[in-house]
Amino acid sequence: MIFTVLIPLLLACFVPLISKLKDKIHTGIFIFFIPFVIFLYYIQFVGSDFTTMKQTINWIPSLGVNFNFYLDGLSLLFVLLISGIGALVVLYSIYYLGKDERLGHFYVYLLMFMAAMLGVVLSDNIYVLYTFWELTSISSFLLIGYWHFNERSRYGALKSMLITVFGGLSMFGAFILLSVITDTTSIQSMIEQKDIILNSTYLPFILVLLLLGAFTKSAQFPFHIWLPDAMEAPTPVSAYLHSATMVKAGLFLVARFSPIFSSYEWFFIIVSIVGIITLCWGSYMAVRQTDLKAILAFSTISQLGMIMAMLGFGTDLAIYAAVFHILNHATFKGSLFMVAGIVDHETGTRDIRKLGGLLTFMPMTATLALFGTFSMAGIPLPFLNGFYSKELFFDSSIHLTSNGLSSFAEFLVQVIPYLAVFGSIFTFVYSMYFFFGVFGGKNQLSLLPKKPHEAPIGMLISPIILVLGVIVIGLFPNLVNGTFLAHAADAVKGTVAEELHILFWHGWKTPLIMSLTVVGIGIVLTLTRKKWAGVYRFIPGKLSLFKLYDIVLEKLNSVSKGITKQYMTGSLRLYVAIILGVTLTLTFITMFATGGVTIQFDNLADVRVIEVSVVFIMIVAAIGTIFARNNVAIILIAGVVGYGVAVLFVIYRAPDLALTQLVIETVSVVLFLLCFYHMPKLRKRDETKSSKSINIIISVGFGALMTIIGISAHSSKWFDSIADYFIETSYKLGGGHNIVNVILVDMRGFDTLFEITVLGIAALAIFSLVKLKKNKEAE
Amino acid sequence: MSNLAVLPIIIPLISGIILAFFHKKVTVSRWLTRILTIGNLGLVSYITWIVFNEGSIILETGGWEAPYGIILVADPLAITLVLTTNIVATACAFYASHSMNIKEETHYFYAFFFFLITGVSGAFLTGDLFNLFVFFEVLLMASYALIVLGGGKVQLRESIKYVLINLFSSVLFVTAVAFLYSVVGTVNMAHIAERVQEVDQKGILTTIAVLLFFVFATKAALFPLYYWMPKSYIVPNPVVSALFGALLTKVGIYSILRVFSLIFVYKLDLTHHAFIWFAGLSMIFGIIGALSTSNIKLIVAYNIIPAIGFIIMGIGVFNQDAMSGAVYYLVHDMIIKCALFLLVGTIAYVAGTSDLRKFSGLIHYYPVLGWLLFVSAFILAGVPPFSGFIGKLLLLKGALTNDEIVIVVLGLLSSLLILYSIMKIFIQGFWGEKDESFVKKPTKGFVGPVVFLLAFSVILGIGAEFIYPSIDTISTYLLDPEVYIDSVLKE
Repeated sequence: MIFTVLIPLLLACFVPLISKLKDKIHTGIFIFFIPFVIFLYYIQFVGSDFTTMKQTINWIPSLGVNFNFYLDGLSLLFVLLISGIGALVVLYSIYYLGKDERLGHFYVYLLMFMAAMLGVVLSDNIYVLYTFWELTSISSFLLIGYWHFNERSRYGALKSMLITVFGGLSMFGAFILLSVITDTTSIQSMIEQKDIILNSTYLPFILVLLLLGAFTKSAQFPFHIWLPDAMEAPTPVSAYLHSATMVKAGLFLVARFSPIFSSYEWFFIIVSIVGIITLCWGSYMAVRQTDLKAILAFSTISQLGMIMAMLGFGTDLAIYAAVFHILNHATFKGSLFMVAGIVDHETGTRDIRKLGGLLTFMPMTATLALFGTFSMAGIPLPFLNGFYSKELFFDSSIHLTSNGLSSFAEFLVQVIPYLAVFGSIFTFVYSMYFFFGVFGGKNQLSLLPKKPHEAPIGMLISPIILVLGVIVIGLFPNLVNGTFLAHAADAVKGTVAEELHILFWHGWKTPLIMSLTVVGIGIVLTLTRKKWAGVYRFIPGKLSLFKLYDIVLEKLNSVSKGITKQYMTGSLRLYVAIILGVTLTLTFITMFATGGVTIQFDNLADVRVIEVSVVFIMIVAAIGTIFARNNVAIILIAGVVGYGVAVLFVIYRAPDLALTQLVIETVSVVLFLLCFYHMPKLRKRDETKSSKSINIIISVGFGALMTIIGISAHSSKWFDSIADYFIETSYKLGGGHNIVNVILVDMRGFDTLFEITVLGIAALAIFSLVKLKKNKEAE
Repeated sequence: MSNLAVLPIIIPLISGIILAFFHKKVTVSRWLTRILTIGNLGLVSYITWIVFNEGSIILETGGWEAPYGIILVADPLAITLVLTTNIVATACAFYASHSMNIKEETHYFYAFFFFLITGVSGAFLTGDLFNLFVFFEVLLMASYALIVLGGGKVQLRESIKYVLINLFSSVLFVTAVAFLYSVVGTVNMAHIAERVQEVDQKGILTTIAVLLFFVFATKAALFPLYYWMPKSYIVPNPVVSALFGALLTKVGIYSILRVFSLIFVYKLDLTHHAFIWFAGLSMIFGIIGALSTSNIKLIVAYNIIPAIGFIIMGIGVFNQDAMSGAVYYLVHDMIIKCALFLLVGTIAYVAGTSDLRKFSGLIHYYPVLGWLLFVSAFILAGVPPFSGFIGKLLLLKGALTNDEIVIVVLGLLSSLLILYSIMKIFIQGFWGEKDESFVKKPTKGFVGPVVFLLAFSVILGIGAEFIYPSIDTISTYLLDPEVYIDSVLKE
């Protein structure tokens, strides 16, 4: 199993080499065999006697991050879709992308995606699942930006990445919570411990975070906005990632976790509401589009919404219908995307306003589109698979039970059938709009950049196979039913349900009446489309989620620019004021919160007149520096403070310290005087009163803070100082009577060595600064 | 044997002195530097191996026994960071000759480079609070020299702020050490830890702890003390920016990690809980800064702040997973920040500007550079399977174990915006139409060091099984101060 994931990744490394041959053989021909072989490998598991499979390869066992691969009915369904549609898409791309394109890049991204997507559906380990999940976002980003010289491609790529990575991260959050609560990283073990999860206080968080991941990936309202812009990708990519597989990863996630959450009422409420709104909004908006791929994009959004809603319903019937529709949607939507690509390729435009009447020019393509659109519309014909799942959708929507639910959920149960019909009516309308807009009516050849003609047979093979799928499933639904759809549905439910038999004719029951209503109203709306199209001016009118995204992104940049400019003024005074202000406030708070202030006078020496007078002079001098207006004066007054310290050292009988202090003070005063000779005069600052008073408060406060801490520290002598040891051993071990000397050169000689280094570096730095400047001037 | 602990400090010191004498012979300097950094890296790897297999190496300098003399402690945390420092240094040693002009190189760049490494390694290895201050001085003095090297006007303007603020915090540092000495009567960290524990961190001690925190937080560029950092980090040569971005702020955060896991751990509700707030605000404001500019160097510089936020969050949460995460993230961030600074330096060099609005379509000429940036963006944002992911996973798991849900949400959101801020450079600068008139500059030698660094990021991620147990050891060790105290004081 694991090889099916790793092989595409490994082979992707060789694609750049193969792509060198592209002038002789199209790179896609080699690539085709990868998904094809994977498909053949997995098809062997299809059958009524299917049992789940497990395979484990350790990666980071100490963190519980391992390749635990797990194949059950649900993953089998997805694996077959990924590899099957993948093979068809690669086949199609051979004709779609010419040899002048950067084929190497394209197929590397595509293989990366394929491996990632297989990894997502096969991983039982949440973190490995997340890894592959992000990899699908990354490869999708690269594929959307494939033609990155187009502004729109870059825009679409960034948008899809931001939204899907956002979802990925929130899903990651949910995963961490789940693993913290259940102490496991395996989804299957979590399902076994679902009671713990359901009783956790974090349950709402987990659900919301997890669903954010699913909704963003599966383009659910209001996160659907990335999907239409993702249509900038080459059409094979749209068919593959943005319709058949990647966007279904969100559905997969919900399905995978639904055994845990299905009994939780909010799961039903959120998933159903979001799904049904997406269904209605997507189909309603699809009718408004003029770009073929945009119509299909909104149609995909709407269909994904419908499947999401069914997963939310959570009844046996609904879940079965959901997995059934995942398969059906892949067949008809995949073929329709390919049709759109063919039309684009052969006529040079995707604008439905310029197209029309292509039936006579492209009869084969038109036939394919006919099956695709009619199946999508859910027209009751026995050879269209879309009808079956649509019928099951209606059936499940009217059989929701509201037993034991809150009144809101009960209300929801009442309105869902109506919304289902509403959404389906527009599905019908856009299907017809798509088909007749392109192939029906009069042709407008003068508007087309190219003269239309039928596509080469190579391009038609893939959509033909998909349409055959539509028809075969339509004619013999039970062919796929027992063999693997039932297994998939069982995996979602977590239990084995009784066998369901799919019939075309149920008799005159409600679902059929709903279907007929859809067709009836749909036909009327299709015929009168131009008359009611004005409604779009009011709903959504100017309110657009697309614009909202642009505004948010724009604001993100402009607001952060504004905020940063506010404080990053480049003013050193402001920076220092902030640093001091914060330190001051929080240190004071701490001091009072912990009762840090202790002031004791009992172990102090007596204060004599001489000390008082020296300190007094120092204080006056220190204050004087602030008011002095002359550089030289400031230096001299500051010197007074330094000499005062030296005098204090003398008084307390530390002659060596006093000498050091005197030397330092003298040297620095002289140096300062020398420097200041070259410097401009101090000017009075223009400051507002408030900023001045804030600065005063900060500086006085900081002084006070240091004083209080100093006194308190001195009053809290709870231990013997290590100094006693130095006094004792200075001569005995250090061989010197001068303790300070022994400390400096021996006991703490290591400090001294590096203090000397500091001075050396400083000297060298100044030397290099001066010399480099001189050299510059010399030039 | 125990002398091994001093070698990572002394070798760069002597190297620096030798290089100061050879400063005019640029070819000799270059090769000597490369050989010496690789030799040092090899040696430090060996020491690391010994520390993890045979336990911490303690050296009492000058034979003066603890707690009286200065102690060097090569414990798992310190030696891991020294090793990372040397990895970063090796990459920079090979990059330097390409991004610098000969004039800068001959004006003692290589000497200052080694002095910086001396200071950083010393700060990691010392077990003495006052000695830590000394090594801060060494690395700061070397950084002052490096930041003004070249002597451009902008450089001088920004460096004066850098120097003044750092000088101020140094003064505050030594004052705080004096206060602490006054209370506990010792400067040996193990001894301080023992005594603080004895009195249960009562009275003024927590206040002094907070004061120390602000000293280190200023150096670590934590919110709201980082104002000096972004602009001063981008003015010097890219290789200097890379060294600063990878090492300097990290020494600050290391000091917080050490002091608040070893010494001040008895008022967690007050100190560590506040760290989580600082972490959140650092993430928010750092990322706001990164989004506010179109200067690619500044984007990377601002990204230092949220990363520091992530690490401080781990220290704040203070449980096994969170501490492992903090250490993992610290190592990861040293490497990736260095790589990113080197990358954007190269990009600015080939594009001729660091303003993102003025260039595009570089991928047509520099595909390798583009893809390296692309991968770096994901590494930085913590996307699996790279190094950032493991750190982030542990940090968030730790935080959720302690029910800190708000910071987790912030962390996840900021990850997205971090990715966006770097991806902007890729989308706007690398994607786009081919500019036919563009004159391609050779980038030989620029890419190798970046690949070297990114290889470590990949190994730290994919090979986490081999690295994580060591980090877990460090975390267990950090959460039990007794081990450190006993190993130093041998009672």
